[in-house]
Amino acid sequence: MNDLLIAGGIGVAFGCALECAGLGDPPKLAGQFYLRDFTVLKVMLSAMLTATLGVFWGARLGMLDLGALYVPETYLLPQGVGGLVFGVGFVLSGLCPGTSCVALASGRIEGAATILGLFAGVLTVGLAFPAIEPFYRSTPHGPLTLQSLTGLPYGVVVAIVTVVGVSTLAWIAKREAGR
Amino acid sequence: MKLARRLGIGALALGLVAPFAGSPLRTQQRGLDLDSIARAIDEGSDHVSARQLAQWIRDRRPGLRVIDVRSSDAFREDAIPTAENLPIDQLAKSSFAPGQTIVLYSQEGAHAGQAWVMLRALGVTHAVFVPGGLADWRDEVLHPLLPADASPAERALIADLSRYFGGSPRIEGSQGGAGTASTAHGLRRRGC
Repeated sequence: MNDLLIAGGIGVAFGCALECAGLGDPPKLAGQFYLRDFTVLKVMLSAMLTATLGVFWGARLGMLDLGALYVPETYLLPQGVGGLVFGVGFVLSGLCPGTSCVALASGRIEGAATILGLFAGVLTVGLAFPAIEPFYRSTPHGPLTLQSLTGLPYGVVVAIVTVVGVSTLAWIAKREAGR
Repeated sequence: MKLARRLGIGALALGLVAPFAGSPLRTQQRGLDLDSIARAIDEGSDHVSARQLAQWIRDRRPGLRVIDVRSSDAFREDAIPTAENLPIDQLAKSSFAPGQTIVLYSQEGAHAGQAWVMLRALGVTHAVFVPGGLADWRDEVLHPLLPADASPAERALIADLSRYFGGSPRIEGSQGGAGTASTAHGLRRRGC
């Protein structure tokens, strides 16, 4: 029960942050795909930087046990296909699952339509699961991380991700200031 | 914009210091590597005899760390010289430097063997245990039975090691109180 309350609190805070960033607005999200609006990239990059640095330094200072973190397993081909389907839905509706809830909460009808489509998709996959299960479990690679993939020390990966993230954000800021 | 720039510089600083901050992992690897454990048991690289340990201690082997996993009460009563007491429930909270040779022992050896597996689970691969524990230390090092058929050099080696630690070797075949002649030494050195 306590976990549910904490999860609910984090969810509401996450929704607030998305709304503050303007991600409840479908044209804004779709604008990312046409490279007109970089809000999505900015939100994603700043979230990745916060998480990367937060997890590394939290663990380094003994506040977090890295062993307790769950790293999802990679199934290359099915996840690639899933990502494409997800991307098509994303650009068509201008919303992702999280932002569709935000859009609905702020009174946008597109949000309700996207949530409906989301659950229709979940139901379809659930019903078809026995048929697609072999594909779902194909090309397994276990939990992949950048460290295990590159063989670099954790700290070096953190530095590279930070430099790439911050310089991309700086580039976006410069581009937006130039307009 | 000013806040965003400050945040960016802060993130950059934290990120660039990260490679020099050391590993955030408490141990290199959590979870049991069953293959390497099976290999170590098969090869016998998981344990060391009490006599070998005694030679290591006498020769001041660099990086040697002898750990007694029994309770602190038992440790105070009797222990192998140079050993430090680290009861089994405190093992997981301790840190072990990579360059060391960690030797675990307990009263009879079972607990030390279990502690060895615990250290493996914590990613510590440079540990061994004494299978016979403190009992072996007494029988093999402090009061070893000098075999009657062994060469004089061999017997001298065992006897020397025993006397180094204040023990008294027994001579095989001697009647009644084993090694009555050597008990006269009566030295009981603890530590060096």
